[in-house]
Amino acid sequence: MRIDKKHSNWQLAALVTLRVLVGWHFLYEGITKLMNPFWSAASFLLESKWIFAGIFKGIAGNPSVLSVVNVLNTWGLIFIGLGLMLGCLSRIATVAGMGLILLYYASNPPFTGLYYAIPSEGNYLIVNKNLIEMAALFVLLLFPTGHIIGLDHLFHKLRSK
Amino acid sequence: MDEKMDDSRTTPKKGIERRDFIQGLATLPILGLFTLSWLNKTIHDRPKNLGKSQRAIPEDLSDINVAFLGTGEQGYIILNACLKIPGLRFKAVCDIWESYNQKRAAQVLKKYKHEMNTYLDYREMLSKEKDLDAVIIATPDFWHADHTVACLEANLHVYCEKEMSNTLEGARRMVEAARRTGKLLQIGHQRRSNPRYLHCYNNLIKNAGILGRITAVNGQWNRAVQPDIGWPKKHVIDSATLKKYGYESMNQFRNWRWYRGLGGGPIVDLGSHQIDIFNWFLETQPKSVLASGGTDYYSKDTHEWYDTVLAIYEYETKQGVVRANYQTLTTNSSEGYFENFLGDQGTLHISESANRGGVYREPTAPQWDKWVSLGYLSAPEKVTQQITTRAVLDVRETIGPDRHDIPITFNDPYHLPHLENFFNAVRGLDKLNCPHDIGYETAVTVLKVNDAVEEARRLDFDPKEFRI
Repeated sequence: MRIDKKHSNWQLAALVTLRVLVGWHFLYEGITKLMNPFWSAASFLLESKWIFAGIFKGIAGNPSVLSVVNVLNTWGLIFIGLGLMLGCLSRIATVAGMGLILLYYASNPPFTGLYYAIPSEGNYLIVNKNLIEMAALFVLLLFPTGHIIGLDHLFHKLRSK
Repeated sequence: MDEKMDDSRTTPKKGIERRDFIQGLATLPILGLFTLSWLNKTIHDRPKNLGKSQRAIPEDLSDINVAFLGTGEQGYIILNACLKIPGLRFKAVCDIWESYNQKRAAQVLKKYKHEMNTYLDYREMLSKEKDLDAVIIATPDFWHADHTVACLEANLHVYCEKEMSNTLEGARRMVEAARRTGKLLQIGHQRRSNPRYLHCYNNLIKNAGILGRITAVNGQWNRAVQPDIGWPKKHVIDSATLKKYGYESMNQFRNWRWYRGLGGGPIVDLGSHQIDIFNWFLETQPKSVLASGGTDYYSKDTHEWYDTVLAIYEYETKQGVVRANYQTLTTNSSEGYFENFLGDQGTLHISESANRGGVYREPTAPQWDKWVSLGYLSAPEKVTQQITTRAVLDVRETIGPDRHDIPITFNDPYHLPHLENFFNAVRGLDKLNCPHDIGYETAVTVLKVNDAVEEARRLDFDPKEFRI
């Protein structure tokens, strides 16, 4: 029995699993920051290299802007995580997630000649975890599943009622 | 797969069916799983604050009348720590440097509403102050025995800075006086009350045996070159007063630690604190000591004691032989001060400096997850090493150990817990962490280093030496 005519059940399960896993990661990153009163994006932003470094360092250097960025980042991660996990406004969550990760990547890209003091848990050349997660979200954008498995399905039904 | 069934699930139908709820809420249990996992991790990672429980503020805060004897550099540090202890009423301050040390201490105490008398001579203070309960002694080492014995015999409890005395004869008199009078005598080895050290001894070493068999210990206190301590020229003590209290000059008064007969040199000033930890953590006293030292850098006219000392002790513990080396340099500050306890399952790196410390698991030791979940240790972090050459890859080397933090925060003045322990003991609420017997054992252990340097040979300890 197929749930969706566009995908086999296995394909659908794989896409939903990918969506939930990425959502889990976003949600936990957000909650960890929310629960840590000492967390700030400042150290990450101050490590910024490459052509956008000036912008990111400027954010870190302005306390009022930084506090707004901290709140936006934390709650952004939480809402995107919930959206992906529950399939709620999943298209918006997917695009927003890609945008957020693009900012992380642009701030600290693993390019030749850029050296970072913050240790990473792996070794990267151009491609890092952020870029892969962004690509995963792009796949989810092209093959959305929230309207099949997720709260979006219920919203869709309610709207068409 | 029939198209009919397929269409029924993708073509919008009027009304919400049960199937739609299943599809819509299918991932909700994952959120539940996430919440459970997160709560579980939060509970596991919560700091256990084992150290804080050892420093409860007593309910009985009846006032203790205190005198302060010796308010120089060290005394002033202790005085400031005392200001954080509730229930103390300072009644007297005594120091022979009337225009400076004595005045400075009195000004601070008056600021905190203590109404006290000031004295130049301790005998006068003891004869006039009749409602004292306790005294804090922070005079130069060579005065400790006379001051302590006199105060104990005046029926006062005594907190005496380390070194207990610069001579064993003096330390012995102090022990005998404490026993004779039945008053409390705490020696100022303040690490004995430090919550981080207490955690390491009670929980990591004693309860968990986390280091396995300790086979070696090393410690050091290295300090940068320092000029002689000076003094404001308008505050010179007259030579008659200096002579009366055992000093030949103002320079000797200010730099007494370097002079034989007055202090014991850096091995006693600095090493005593840490060698005391060797004895404490190993739960015994050494069998022998050999040492090398000398006044290699400074002038022997002003630095009678050795500016550089290296000592090696041999201990016979319940688990086997432990060799412990200690060094104190006054010409280079490399790595500062710390103690390392090295066992076959781990290494404890600890320092009174609250920013330092860590526990390292040997790669071949069992996992320490149990101790992390109990709050004995923080979660491990890998000690990474940037390898820049193939030459370091060698079968003789073992991989780097995991590093764990000691999860006890300590933000108070270093002497505060030890002073609190003393005053709690005066109130009958606690036992002294460093009573006279322990202070004496440490004095015997440390003072022998200078003898070993002098004789340029290994000296054995008779177990009876540590007892009176």
